[in-house]
Amino acid sequence: MLEVSGLTKIYGPKDNQVRALDEVSFSIEQGEIALIVGSSGSGKSTLLNMIGLLDRPTKGHIRIDGVDTTTLNDGAISTFRNRKLGFIFQFSNLLSDLSVLENVLLPLQISGRDYTEEDAKELLRAVGLDDQISKRANKISGGQAQRAAIARGLINKPSIVLADEPTGNLDSLTSEKIVELIKSMAKRLNQTFIIVTHDREHFGDVDRIITIKDGKAFQDEQMEITA
Amino acid sequence: MEYRLRLAKRMLFNKKGSLIGAILAVTIGILVIHVNFVIFQGLYDAIVRDVTDYNIGNVQITDKIDYIEKSDLSLVNWLERIPYVEAATPRLSAHGEMDVVTNGMLIEEARIPVVGVDPFRDIRASTVHETVADGTYVFSRNTMVLGSVLAEDLGGVQVGDSVKLILIDRWGQEQTKRFTVSGLAESPGGQGFDYSAVIHIDTLRDMLKRPSSSDSILIRLNDPSKALEVKDFFLLSFPNDDFVAQTVEEASEKQLAGFRSGIALINLIGYFGMMSSAFAIVTIQMMLVNGKTKEIGVMRSIGARRKDILIIFIFQGMIIGAIGAGVGTATGLGYTFYAKETKMSFNGSLALEVTYNWEKISQTALLSFLLAIVASLYPSYRATRLLPVEAMRTV
Ligand SMILES: Nc1ncnc2c1ncn2[C@@H]1O[C@H](COP(=O)(O)OP(=O)(O)OP(=O)(O)O)[C@@H](O)[C@H]1O
Ligand SMILES: [Mg+2]
Repeated sequence: MLEVSGLTKIYGPKDNQVRALDEVSFSIEQGEIALIVGSSGSGKSTLLNMIGLLDRPTKGHIRIDGVDTTTLNDGAISTFRNRKLGFIFQFSNLLSDLSVLENVLLPLQISGRDYTEEDAKELLRAVGLDDQISKRANKISGGQAQRAAIARGLINKPSIVLADEPTGNLDSLTSEKIVELIKSMAKRLNQTFIIVTHDREHFGDVDRIITIKDGKAFQDEQMEITA
Repeated sequence: MEYRLRLAKRMLFNKKGSLIGAILAVTIGILVIHVNFVIFQGLYDAIVRDVTDYNIGNVQITDKIDYIEKSDLSLVNWLERIPYVEAATPRLSAHGEMDVVTNGMLIEEARIPVVGVDPFRDIRASTVHETVADGTYVFSRNTMVLGSVLAEDLGGVQVGDSVKLILIDRWGQEQTKRFTVSGLAESPGGQGFDYSAVIHIDTLRDMLKRPSSSDSILIRLNDPSKALEVKDFFLLSFPNDDFVAQTVEEASEKQLAGFRSGIALINLIGYFGMMSSAFAIVTIQMMLVNGKTKEIGVMRSIGARRKDILIIFIFQGMIIGAIGAGVGTATGLGYTFYAKETKMSFNGSLALEVTYNWEKISQTALLSFLLAIVASLYPSYRATRLLPVEAMRTV
């Protein structure tokens, strides 16, 4: 369960402020797939970064599973990101010095908990990468890297998965497959997915669509927008 | 393997240029210190070695005022009963004039150092006789060994030539005696008798009218580390004879003090070299951190704490330090080995006395290892200040 209330983000110095988010409030239920849409520069990435605790809001609150994340310190935020959140970026952002498998294992290793490689291998199988696991991350294609990034985003069983234009850098055929993958994973794992996208049609049926316009959020909970 | 260590290792080894640069920086820092040590400490030890072997012994006994008047025979016998003492020998010195006729020309040289030795004992207590390259050491009352430099000054005196020595005795009278040159002495570095005329000590005593005087007793020990003990034991046993006993370091302090401060300065320069290696590492590590901005952001976004990032880059410093210390020490030891095996010397000067000072070697290695870590602290800290949003950058 995610609750955003009065979220405001102002960038820049006093004399040249950009109000990227302006009193944004909404909530998303556990297990939902939510799309964030809007024109370029409207504040979508800013919103996602705030929810992902990658950046701090100027004002307002974000509650995730009942925890007000704006009160956490840096160490607690790191732990929170590790355990509760999964990220899928526009560019896969795998660590090029590690293999595909090592990339997927990384969130587990950072968590400091006991783990087995089996979980990661199973997830890589699920995203169709079982034959690529020991390749170095910079030696696979963009689509494969994005699949690996999805596996990495899911490995710690986060309650919210955040994706910023996960298909923005892929050709249409590959992006269709990635969308399919994300949707099927979401269904299987009952995790909340929040996805910033430019083409909502790609995603077909989703639970919620939040439109950002000039830093303000509008919700249409109807689901008639189908492909 | 610990994931942070693995990441540190991979990030470093995938940037071969930076890794090699950083390792080279540490290596050169260490190598400079090793080379300095081999050359300058080696030179110092070589001088001490030659002074010990040729002129002073491990311990030298002299008189507080002028000459030792106690019988040299009884002193030497007494000393040689000490188990640490290998041998002891008296020496007497004076200055005189020498005349020699070479190719029909008379050449005179004044103020020549004349050394009187006991031929029988001297060859046991000192190795100066080994510097006689041409001919033999003093063996009778009227033979003389000439230093090669002196022989040259005298117009190229050869073995077998006859020379005249003129001395002023203790009563102010001129004493003259002819000698046959039995050998020419030449030592690399000139620490031996290169500038002196060496004759039988009893001949010198006769000429000076000092029948039982010596001005020093040179003591050779079978265990040089017992020098202080022997010295103290001797002084304790002869409290009323106005003797002075000194170890070789004490006796040649004046000659060596300047050299030692020179070594200290050279060492300082070596440590400055290490400091510049450290700065090189800071620069290289900063480059590595800057090149990994996005990756660090990604790690932070998937939950790595500041501490984890810090540890990764400190691990990098440790890897650089460990490899650098290893390679540097290995090359340094290689150089030391080479210098020792080839009895390295410069321009035919004395051969360096090369030693492996394991304490200093490990100290240097440890120091550069630590320095590499210290040099990584600031870049590592900078890495921790990078924000997780860096991960979102599209370029
Ligand atoms: N670090 C920053 N400093 C200053 N201004 C920023 C910063 N990041 C974003 N902005 C500004 O905030 C506004 C919202 O940016 P944001 O990246 O959230 O847009 P977006 O909706 O994700 O756009 P796009 O679809 O092009 O990715 C823009 O006007 C942008 O210029
Ligand atoms: Mg964006």
